[in-house]
Amino acid sequence: MSYDAVLYIFVFLPVCLAVYQLTPEKSRWKALLIFSLAFHFLLSRGLLLCLIGTSLLTYYTGICLEWLRSEEKLELSGADRTEKRRLKQKYQRRRKRILALGVIILLAILAYLKYYNFFVRSVDLLPGWLSLPLSLEEKQLIMPVGISFYTLQAIGYMADVYWGRISPERDPGRMTLFLSFFPQIMEGPICRYSDTAGTLFKGEPVSYQNLVDGYVRIFWGLFKKKIIADRLAVPVAVIFDNYTEYGGMLIAVGAVAYTIQLYMEFSGCMDIIIGSGRMFGICLPENFRQPFCARSASEFWRRWHITLGTWFKTYIFYPVSMSGIVKRWNQFGRKHLGKYMTQLGVAAAALFPVWVCNGLWHGARWSYIFYGMYYFVLILAGEAVKPLRDKALAAFRIREDAVWLRCVQIARTWVIIFTGELFFRADGLRAGLHMFWSMFEEFGISRLWDGTLFTLGVGRADLAAVAVGCIIVAVVGHMKEKDKNIPQRLAAAPLPVRWGAYYALILAVIIFAAYGDGYQAVDMIYAGF
Amino acid sequence: MKIEIKTIRRCIMFFAILALLLWIGSIWISGQAQHMSEYIQGRSRPYTGIAAEPENSIDMIVLGDSESYTSVSPLEIWQERGYPVYVCGQPGQKVQETYYMLRHALETQSPKVVLMETNLMFRDPGFLGNIRVDMTEFLRYHMPIFRYHNMWKMLLDGSWANDDYKGFAIRSGVKACDREKEASYMKETTETAKIPEAVHTYMEKIIKLCRDNGAELVLVSAPSPKNYNYKKHNAIERYAGEKGLHYIDLNLKAGQLGIDWTKDSYDRGDHLNLSGARKVTSYLGKYIGEKYGMEDRRNDPAYQEWDRLAEKYQAEVARRLAK
Repeated sequence: MSYDAVLYIFVFLPVCLAVYQLTPEKSRWKALLIFSLAFHFLLSRGLLLCLIGTSLLTYYTGICLEWLRSEEKLELSGADRTEKRRLKQKYQRRRKRILALGVIILLAILAYLKYYNFFVRSVDLLPGWLSLPLSLEEKQLIMPVGISFYTLQAIGYMADVYWGRISPERDPGRMTLFLSFFPQIMEGPICRYSDTAGTLFKGEPVSYQNLVDGYVRIFWGLFKKKIIADRLAVPVAVIFDNYTEYGGMLIAVGAVAYTIQLYMEFSGCMDIIIGSGRMFGICLPENFRQPFCARSASEFWRRWHITLGTWFKTYIFYPVSMSGIVKRWNQFGRKHLGKYMTQLGVAAAALFPVWVCNGLWHGARWSYIFYGMYYFVLILAGEAVKPLRDKALAAFRIREDAVWLRCVQIARTWVIIFTGELFFRADGLRAGLHMFWSMFEEFGISRLWDGTLFTLGVGRADLAAVAVGCIIVAVVGHMKEKDKNIPQRLAAAPLPVRWGAYYALILAVIIFAAYGDGYQAVDMIYAGF
Repeated sequence: MKIEIKTIRRCIMFFAILALLLWIGSIWISGQAQHMSEYIQGRSRPYTGIAAEPENSIDMIVLGDSESYTSVSPLEIWQERGYPVYVCGQPGQKVQETYYMLRHALETQSPKVVLMETNLMFRDPGFLGNIRVDMTEFLRYHMPIFRYHNMWKMLLDGSWANDDYKGFAIRSGVKACDREKEASYMKETTETAKIPEAVHTYMEKIIKLCRDNGAELVLVSAPSPKNYNYKKHNAIERYAGEKGLHYIDLNLKAGQLGIDWTKDSYDRGDHLNLSGARKVTSYLGKYIGEKYGMEDRRNDPAYQEWDRLAEKYQAEVARRLAK
């Protein structure tokens, strides 16, 4: 049952809403928990135990960390200064061990289920003299749905308790709900406990406005997913699955089409997810903020899959930046290398693990690691040339906010994004490199209008639906970029205008969505990660 | 939740207008689909095809999945026996689709016989799948806009008429069935295959629908080594016995029909090809014609169109077989 399925939107969600509303306020979170576990069971069957195990581990790690903190306080109350220092160090070490144990167990489960076969395949690739004295065989491993998402949430929670940013959750059921809340289990967003716990456990009654806002957001998500993304899935599959038969312009078309498909699919599902949460009065964090308006690769990642970027920044980038080794490098660099090289070194040291993890998080493939490294190099290069760029802008008296400069930067970022997604979607690194180089052979721009596009499994009507859909999404995105809150404006509009907009959206989805004769349901891409 | 009366009234109003819009849209689009039935492609084809037939002109309706429209050729029956048949089969038809297809067909037709190919009786999309199919078929039946919503594409992609041989698909290719499979697939056993719960539920509805409309429901298993075995035969035979239905298992009569699996199979024992279909059709046409006293309408001027189509069909068959 995917989020764009009739069953989810018109059966599961309304039944859950009804039960939630009929449950006393204090126990509403329990209703959400039962539906979340049922939802996960329907998707993963017995692997639900993995989610419950993760929840219990996360819960007890938090409790343990809190217990150590209270023990520390108790012992510190009667100690002198030297004793206090010793005690603090002792408890710090203990807390670190508990945190490390919790994180290692979670990562070990994830690594085993997600990366074991990749490891075995990679070991096989090693030359004979380097091979390990192990005889490993690939296994048929089934991953519980959403493991990549809830594992990161669990680790984030443990770290936040460790740092004392939040108090640990006292109820294992609530902890399980935090990790398993059904709208977000398959595709995120990756929530921080401090962001969602408040509304998740509050049991806010269902309100008319939340219902309307929620369903409008869901239909907007369906618009993106069913009208645009699902249609583009066909030509994308044709090009990427038969990449040796194509070259030049068609590979570029494939890269652009896949980027649009991925954005419409992922952001569309996010709209459905956030809309679902909204119905229960639960505010889930936004995952996209007009990523195609970004002026650089680093800005793109602050607008695309925001919660993943925030997670890496909070739990990898900052801790690495503040680590002892980086501090020592800082001291050494300032003495011997100068400020510029030192800062670049710090950035490289903190960014490298972030982008390795980003690549690996998406899946156990070398092409994903390459994808992570691609952005690592580009973002680091951006940092490296920044002083030179600033000087050049000043020398030529170019304003940072000049429209033409912004257009050039956005266009450059698009090229970076499309190239990145080409490697991301390609069937392996070798295929990605093959596709990339073949783009420069006989480019043939005329293929855009000579009818070749219609050989990719889509007709004029499908392409027209995609084009019009993209224009509508772009216009809405542009308005949001200009800080125009469309739902708020719509809510303030006179009833005929408001209802007219709602009917137009619903009918557009019913009439123009890619379902029924000639279409196959397309799986959610990020649910596979 | 304190809900104001005004809010409730507005909600009802909103959904009432939406339902009205969808209903008007459905009526309009159904009319268009029927009018342009020869241009409709895919799974909706038999829906518009049967709706486009003159009222009460069809004496036998055939239901089922791909086994139905590759096994029974209405125009062969017309030429040999003279009674009008329409095949409302769809690829991978599920029992829910069969039920709504029959309901749709019975809105304009009063057939004497409803012949149902039984392969779909073992198709089970699972608990969630069944709820999904229940819902979507209910919606598509009551709001045909959900069925024909893609018709707007004809404006841009253009439209082309398909030859409609009353629902039959001419498949003249040959891919022989594996000899071992062919020899052993109907090995006698006392074991019984399980008919899914959803099939039981909808079969009850189908039986009632046929009885209410005075049509005889006949179950038939088309020859198919890939899809049938004796366990399935036992299950359907028992079911037919319990419900008082007539059941014809052509897998047990393959020899009598003269089915040669090296020549009559389209895709290695899954579907029959044209040659196999003609053998099955010849047998079924005669058997049902005689058993249910089907009237010969070849001299009825209202059916002149059938004669013209049958000639076209025979020309196409000759062309395909000559290849």
